[in-house]
Amino acid sequence: MALVPLATHFHGDFVIKLLPVDTENTMDEVAAAAATNAVGIHVPDQPGKTLRVRKQGADAPYERSSTVAASGLEPTECVEIYFE
Amino acid sequence: MALLERAQWYDIARNTEWTPRYVTNDELFPPELSGGEGLPEQIWATYDEPYKVSYREYVDIQRQKDAGAYSVKAALERADLYNKADPGWISILKEHYAAVALVEYGASFQEARFVRWSKAPGMRNMATFGMLDEIRHGQIQLYFPHEYVNKDRQFEWSHAAMFTDNWVTLGARHFFDDVMMTRDAVSTSIFANFSFETGFTNLQFIGLSGDAAKAGDFTFSKLIQSIQSDEARHAQLGTPLLQMLIENGQKDVAQKKIDIAFWRSYRLFTILSGIPMDYYVPLANREDSFKEFMEEWIVTQFMRSLEDLGLSKPWYWDIFLRDISEHHHGQHLGTYSWRPTLWWDPAAGVSPDDRDWLEQKYPGWNDTFGKVWDVIIDNFANDRPEQTVPGTLPIICNVSQLPIVGTPSQTLRDISLVHEGRRYHFASEVDKWIFEDDPERYRHHKNLVDRFLGGDILPADLGGVLEYMGLGSVGPGGDDAHGFAWVDTYRKQLAKAG
Repeated sequence: MALVPLATHFHGDFVIKLLPVDTENTMDEVAAAAATNAVGIHVPDQPGKTLRVRKQGADAPYERSSTVAASGLEPTECVEIYFE
Repeated sequence: MALLERAQWYDIARNTEWTPRYVTNDELFPPELSGGEGLPEQIWATYDEPYKVSYREYVDIQRQKDAGAYSVKAALERADLYNKADPGWISILKEHYAAVALVEYGASFQEARFVRWSKAPGMRNMATFGMLDEIRHGQIQLYFPHEYVNKDRQFEWSHAAMFTDNWVTLGARHFFDDVMMTRDAVSTSIFANFSFETGFTNLQFIGLSGDAAKAGDFTFSKLIQSIQSDEARHAQLGTPLLQMLIENGQKDVAQKKIDIAFWRSYRLFTILSGIPMDYYVPLANREDSFKEFMEEWIVTQFMRSLEDLGLSKPWYWDIFLRDISEHHHGQHLGTYSWRPTLWWDPAAGVSPDDRDWLEQKYPGWNDTFGKVWDVIIDNFANDRPEQTVPGTLPIICNVSQLPIVGTPSQTLRDISLVHEGRRYHFASEVDKWIFEDDPERYRHHKNLVDRFLGGDILPADLGGVLEYMGLGSVGPGGDDAHGFAWVDTYRKQLAKAG
């Protein structure tokens, strides 16, 4: 377990935000943590939809249960979080 | 004793030059301090300053300028502007004085370096007056806000801001250290005098002077007109040097210096001018938008001065033209959201009438930046103010030192690279280009997030960050300039809708 700071682009937001996560966090946990900095603060909620995480610019999201460690993301690399 | 006309003695006095016998020319004028490598030695004597003035004339004119500004201040002190002006205007004063006064004093050192290190006698002469100009600007812009310190402690920042590690200060200091304090005389004059002063002090000082008069602040209007009259003169220092570079096969060198300085100046001014012009100036006094000011002062006038010299628009011109409709809106959202980190109280500037104005000036604003404001306004209108300040930090550009912002759902993205094992982030392709052009210059600097992640800021939370930036010790941090009175309109709309 180790702390990894990520840069997060929550779709609909106007600014990239810092998000400290743990290497053992799943992508669902990363998305939920990113949402606490964006949803209801700068981005409206979309009830009933699922949050997904992908590397900035990637076509496909990470598996929801995959971990930060498995993603190979490096400190302060940018991920996008979006409603699906 | 009869005095000679200036024209009868000026050239002889101006051209008086060192004749070094005990040191080499490079020891007298070290290239790293004097610049101009590759230019023929005889060229320096041909520097023909665009204005000529004697010390006697200079002192007389400056005395009159000071008398004008100080007498307006004295006459209007009893008018109680502080209590009568719109709070948005007072915020502009707080932001301006703290960001500008000490920088002007720093500029006197820039000019003093020209006085010693410039190889052109005419430039050394001109810079002597430029140095005196900047000392005056530092002093007068500390004296004027001092009147307000006993009314509002945020005016303490006028003197203190540049001695702190507030994030806005980090941005301003990084910029001015880069363009004004750490380059040779030739480069500095092109970066600071030609690019920054010719282009952008016009924007701040003439643009804001008009806004000040419309807001009833004739003291500030007169003050910055007085300053700009000096800037307009010493800003010309760099033009003869540009001509020398171009005529001696160094056009590309000149162009690159302008391209770097222009972008860096522009991005800083989105904070200093862009936000105040479009959001803080009371709507009743607001006419031209920041974009329109940019189009007049930069796109038209500054570009004409480049064309007159045979230079080109910066390579990123299309990016720039798009950016003047976007970037400062994102920075306003950021500064307002993280308002406890500011030394001034930001005006939201998003009442229904304000939004109509923004939509008219920036078509599409309501569907982009406005969507974010909808969420913020909903929180205020429903008494959830705690949800209007994010619990984390923004990612910050390693060149501009400003948060990385963009138009929601359109242009926001992080641009980064890894250099010698460290990841750097950039708010635009241009910032990245500036870094890549000279990584050694920029790579060691740590922005606020680097410091936070590196353990320099403790405790590592918002409270620790505020303390690190001097909030609460130098003076109080920011809150809504109007005490959220503008939210009432939305509350009424909400109540009406049931």
